[in-house]
Amino acid sequence: MIDSAVMSNDELVEFAEGLARVASTGGGPKALAAHLGTLLDAAVLVEDAEWRHVALAGAAKRSVPPSSRDLISAAPKDGEGAVALQTPGDAAGGVAVRIRGGDSPLGWLSVFPNGSGAEGRLAAVRLAAAAIAVELSRDAGGGRNRRKSFWDRLISRAYDDPIEAKDDATARGISLAASYVAVAIEAEGLEETVAATKMGDLRRICLETLRSGSGDIVVLERGGGFVFLCPAPMEVDAANARTAATLIARTATKNHFGAKIVGGVGRPAEAIAAHRTVEEARESMFIARRLFGGSRVMPYEDLGVYPMLLRGGATSAELREVSDRILAPLRAYDEKHQTELIRTLRLYFDVGQNVKTAAAELSVHRHTVFYRLRQIAEISGHDLDSAHDQLTLRTAMAIDALNSHER
Amino acid sequence: MHSTLTNGKAINKRDVLRLAKERDVRFVRLSFVDILGINKSVSIPVAELERAIEGRVTFDGGSIDGFVRGEEADMRLLPDLATFAVYPWTNGGHNEARLICNIATADGEPFEGCPRTTLMRAIDDAADVATGLQSGLEVEFYLFDVGPGGAPTTASNDVGSYFDINESDRGELARTEIVTALEAMGLGVASSHHEHGAGQHEIDLRETGLLAASDALITLRTVAKHVAARHGLHATFMPKPAEHLAGSGVHVYFAFPRDAAEGEDVEDDDLGENALFAIGGLLEHAPAFTAICNPTVNSYKRLVAAWDAPIYTVWSHRSANSLVRVPSPEDARSRIEVRSADPSCNPYLAMSVLLASAAHGIRSHALPGDPLTGSTYELNDRERDRRRIKTLPKSLRQALVELEKDVVVRAALGDHIYLAFRDAKVAEYERYRRAVHPWEREAYLRVY
Repeated sequence: MIDSAVMSNDELVEFAEGLARVASTGGGPKALAAHLGTLLDAAVLVEDAEWRHVALAGAAKRSVPPSSRDLISAAPKDGEGAVALQTPGDAAGGVAVRIRGGDSPLGWLSVFPNGSGAEGRLAAVRLAAAAIAVELSRDAGGGRNRRKSFWDRLISRAYDDPIEAKDDATARGISLAASYVAVAIEAEGLEETVAATKMGDLRRICLETLRSGSGDIVVLERGGGFVFLCPAPMEVDAANARTAATLIARTATKNHFGAKIVGGVGRPAEAIAAHRTVEEARESMFIARRLFGGSRVMPYEDLGVYPMLLRGGATSAELREVSDRILAPLRAYDEKHQTELIRTLRLYFDVGQNVKTAAAELSVHRHTVFYRLRQIAEISGHDLDSAHDQLTLRTAMAIDALNSHER
Repeated sequence: MHSTLTNGKAINKRDVLRLAKERDVRFVRLSFVDILGINKSVSIPVAELERAIEGRVTFDGGSIDGFVRGEEADMRLLPDLATFAVYPWTNGGHNEARLICNIATADGEPFEGCPRTTLMRAIDDAADVATGLQSGLEVEFYLFDVGPGGAPTTASNDVGSYFDINESDRGELARTEIVTALEAMGLGVASSHHEHGAGQHEIDLRETGLLAASDALITLRTVAKHVAARHGLHATFMPKPAEHLAGSGVHVYFAFPRDAAEGEDVEDDDLGENALFAIGGLLEHAPAFTAICNPTVNSYKRLVAAWDAPIYTVWSHRSANSLVRVPSPEDARSRIEVRSADPSCNPYLAMSVLLASAAHGIRSHALPGDPLTGSTYELNDRERDRRRIKTLPKSLRQALVELEKDVVVRAALGDHIYLAFRDAKVAEYERYRRAVHPWEREAYLRVY
């Protein structure tokens, strides 16, 4: 049984701050339940006032009844709204507290400890119930616009005017960054029995890896995974978010996460256009899974022409943008150093990647061609031994040729 | 240089006494550095060696800059037996060896003003994130002619540049002898070559532990001056001996082990996480550690947009003038090269602050942004703002202000060393500020 007065005030404050952090970054009842479950080493079940399932977390280590309704009905009340739960064959027992929004009952929060580690933390259960009450009240508040959180509205392009978005954010106590980078993350092959716990772990790993000095990271639960919106007011913040995201799979391995991680990173976008970076992140994740075998988080910028193929086409302007972006570093180098890297690359592809023939066509020694190809790889960031990178460069060259004025 | 015997065991007291006897050593120099990195020593007859090894040799700490001020205080010298080495020359016909020492108080407690002890503490403090970290140094210096009366000049009969070979060049011959002497004393020398400036040379020391790498710079400075003098030359580690000459730097390499058990792909060409985060920490703390790594007013005449000296907190794979460069991988370890330090630094303090900065970066997962391609000199204000790139201090005065603001770098030094260093350098800068320099007379004497 969970009794009261064992957690210190400092511990309670720390836990309450954790709940606030989860809620402020978009975490709903499920994330709040997972936060409580981690503290108590317990399974946590949230049900609404109609005994409908809302969330379950931490159920990997023990069985949990589909509903607490019968257990609560059978149990005596302790006068503080807490109910001791006795499940058959479970010596530790559990506890349930009512979730209230003012005087209105909104549901029940039931805790089923895995061992004796949850004793003395009833205050934490009450705090979690209060935080969940805020989320359930918001969902029950009526009106489509109010039901959706600010971030959901932003991502679904509900704002046409950046000022309107900023004002709405301010009204909700959200400090909006100028730009964001989205990171989409999913775990593959999770067993249902451990999924809730594992997703809590994954959320923590991602937040620790992505941690930002430029503001709070927003967490959105999407499908079977998460989308993290990382504030990127400056170019360097976007670069760091991208680098950190690519470290998530490795960090998960270090933390013995036990499942494959796949993800994608969008390009930085202004807050009003946050949907674009989210879409790019999810596209990148899809491409990483389908073409690169998963177990990695791939930035959109590194995917070359694949996003275009995924979308089933592009406008001429989009094609030119892709080609320019890929070839720009080589073009800049050629202009500055009076070199022929673009010409060498085009010829190299034209002659079927035969260095000897390319050297003859260019009237240079083949070692010079090898040297230039190494330079091309370093400057463009594309590996000429990689089939994926070759496709990107070939396509960029083809688009460039097709759009050339010298027709 | 940190010796082990041929059977792989660490050297002990009995081994040192035996080696001294076998090599017919007559005197032993008990060597240590002051806070400014100046090499000091107490010479003892070999008969006193056992007493010295037991830490019973004392000296007057009150007479050393930055040690104990205003009073006479006995300090103990605690030799590090692993540094025992016999000089490959004789002194008055007698063989001479040296032992590098840590400094302790009279009652045997580690002295907080000892730079070498400070580095040992920094290494301990970073043990959670920097186990197995090694360092190698690329040291640049000039060999100049000696003028009348033995006064050093900035002239050289050598007109060579990068990697030039001129076998009749006295500098070339002296450098070869310096390398030979270093190897005889147990230092690993990876390579040496002529550098950009006329009379400028570089010696690259093999990677080793951070303490041994710092000891090696002290040894190199001592050996180079000794050998150069025998060739009628003057070896100087002054960062910028003349306006028209390339400055001399010390490039500090850090080699991070990569651990497959920790999820690192050791076959991957990419940097490991620790190296990446270390770069983040180094860039973050660079303005503060510059005072320690570039400790003289002259150091800042080198840190200008010329001769590939770093001036911004930038990292790169290719650019030769970035602050941190990532060299091409040569084995499974991740390497980074810090390019700002110069050979006038106290190597123990420089290594302490670099290590503390890197360790802070690893612990805080500090990411460094994207690496720069191209020359850092071409970055405009807007590009620097977007990348949050900072400018390295342009004077010793500015560097001291940055150092004062950085608690991580100051903590690596400890209060005693920080305050003594600051006071010494503020006084040095003030003397420089009051001096009237030749340039001023040239520019103003006729005009006004």
